Amino acid sequence: MSDVAIAFEHVRVARERRTILDVPRLEVPTGTTTVLFGPNGAGKTTMLRLIAGLEKPDAGVVRVDGRIGTPAGGVAYAFQEAVFLRGSVRANLALGLELRGLPPAERTDRVDASARDCGIAHLLERDAHTLSAGEAQRANLARTLALRAPIMLLDEPLAGFDRVGHARFLEDLARLLRTIAGTVVLVTHDREEAFRLADRIVVVAAGRVRAAGPLRAVLERPPDRETAELLGYTVLLDDDGALLGIPPGALRPGPGARTFRLVVERVLTVGLEARLVGDIVTRAGPVPVELPLPAGADRPPPGETVQIAADAWATIGD
Amino acid sequence: MRDLVAALGQALRLLASGDPALYVIMGRTLLVSGAATVLALLAGVPLGYLLARRRFPGRTLLLGLVNTGMGLPPVVVGLFVWLLLARSGPLGALDLIYTRQAMVLAQLVIALPLIVGFTVTSIRALPERLPDLLWTLGAGRWRRLWLLAGEARLGLLAAIMAGFGAIISEVGASMTVGGNLEHSTRVLTTAVVTETSRGNVPLALALGLILLALAFVVNLVLTFAQTRGGR
Repeated sequence: MSDVAIAFEHVRVARERRTILDVPRLEVPTGTTTVLFGPNGAGKTTMLRLIAGLEKPDAGVVRVDGRIGTPAGGVAYAFQEAVFLRGSVRANLALGLELRGLPPAERTDRVDASARDCGIAHLLERDAHTLSAGEAQRANLARTLALRAPIMLLDEPLAGFDRVGHARFLEDLARLLRTIAGTVVLVTHDREEAFRLADRIVVVAAGRVRAAGPLRAVLERPPDRETAELLGYTVLLDDDGALLGIPPGALRPGPGARTFRLVVERVLTVGLEARLVGDIVTRAGPVPVELPLPAGADRPPPGETVQIAADAWATIGD
Repeated sequence: MRDLVAALGQALRLLASGDPALYVIMGRTLLVSGAATVLALLAGVPLGYLLARRRFPGRTLLLGLVNTGMGLPPVVVGLFVWLLLARSGPLGALDLIYTRQAMVLAQLVIALPLIVGFTVTSIRALPERLPDLLWTLGAGRWRRLWLLAGEARLGLLAAIMAGFGAIISEVGASMTVGGNLEHSTRVLTTAVVTETSRGNVPLALALGLILLALAFVVNLVLTFAQTRGGR
C-alpha cells in the first residue's frame, strides 16, 4: 500500500442538479485515523460512500490504494445505522469473513477476538435483532473490525448511545483505534469525538472541505472564521486587529494571558453549576459567550462589566 | 348438510378407488398451476425488487398497475389471452390455444401481479441499508440477491401462497384458453363446472373438496417453511 490510502481528485457529486459535494483534492495518508467532521448534511457520509464504491462521483475520481472503483468488499464499512441479518450476533460477525472465503476456524478466532475487543463477547450467541442500541453499535464495530481490512470506514460509530455508554465507548474506541495498523476514516458531527479520536481532521461544510490536516495544526491555526466557528471557537477581533479563535472551554473569569471585557447579561444556573452569559466587548462589536463560574464565586449583576481571560487561543488565517 | 357429508364420502371413495382419470386431472392441475407459479416467481421477484429499490420514471405508474393487477378477474385475463392466442390472433401461429401451455400463460398473468406486489412489500420491509451492507461485506450481485431473498423469505413465501392460491382456484381463464378438453386441458376447477352443469352435484362437490385438500396441502408445506424460517 502506498503512502496515500485514499485520494479525492476533482470530485463532484450532484443531486437533482444541485452540487452536494465538491472536493477538488483530498488525500488520506495510510495508517492514520482521519475524522471527517462537520454538521449534519455536510456531505461526510457521501464521501464515505464514494470511498466504499457504493456511489460514483458525477465528475472526478476517488482512488483507493491507487485504484479507481472500489470492488464489493474492498473496504470495511460500519454504517451509522447498525443493520443485521436474521440470526445470531456471531453469524452476523462471521458473514463478511465467510464471503471473503476464510476457513471456519479462522472465522471463529477473528469473531471471538473482535467481539472481545468491543466488549460484546457475552452477546455472541444472542439473536442480533434483540440487541439494544448501544450493543448493536458495538456489534456493528466488531463486525467491521473482524474483517481486518486495510481501510476501515466508520460512520458516526457513537450514535445511539446514552451519555454514560457514550463516554465509555468513546474510551474503548480510542483505545481500539490506537491498536489498528490500517487506515481509518471516521465520520462525526460531535466535536468531542473528533478531537478525541483524530490524528488528522477534515472539516466539511456544505459539501466542501474547509480545512484538512493534522488535528493539532488545524486547531492551532484554523484557516478562516467559518472553520473556526465549526470547530466551536469563539471568534473575535482583538485590539490589534487580528482575528482570534478561542477554543471551547478556554474562557474563565478574571485576568489572564489574554484578558477581555465582558458585559454581563445574566448568570445562568444549571444544576449545581453557574454560568456567566454576556457579550465580550470588541472593536467589531459585541461577541456573545457563555463560561462557567467557579463554585463560590461572586455572581455579578446584569449590566456590570467584568474581566474574563482566555488560557488558549488560535490565530485564524495566515 | 347431508349433501356435503355425502360429497365428502364420495370424495374419499373416489380417491380410494385409485381412478386414474382423477389422478391425471389432479396431476395436471398441479402441473399447470405449479409451472405458472414458478414462472411468475422467476419474473416477479426480480421485478418486485426493482420496484421496491430503484427510482426510475414511470415507477409509480407501474406500482399502480401492479396493485390493480392483484385483483384481476381471471375470466377477463382469459379473454385477453384467448384473443392473443386464437388462430386469428397475433400469436395464433404458435398454435397454443386450448393447450396446457395456454393455461399456464393465462395463470401466469394472474399470478404475476400478486407475486410482484408481495415482493415489493417484503423487500420494502427490509432495512434500507441492507444491500449496501452486503456489498461492503463482499457479496457479489447474485449472492446479495440470495441473501436478501433469505431475509425476505416470509414475505416471499406469502407471495407464493397468494399466487398459487389464486390460480389453482380460478376457473374462468382456464376454461376460456384451455377449453376444458377431457384428456388434455381439464383441471379440477373446470371439472367441477362440467359436473355441475351435468347435474352431477355430488361428484362436483367431491372434486371441489379434493381441490381444497390439494390447495391445503401445498399451503401447509409453505406455512411450515414460513414458521420455521420466521421468529
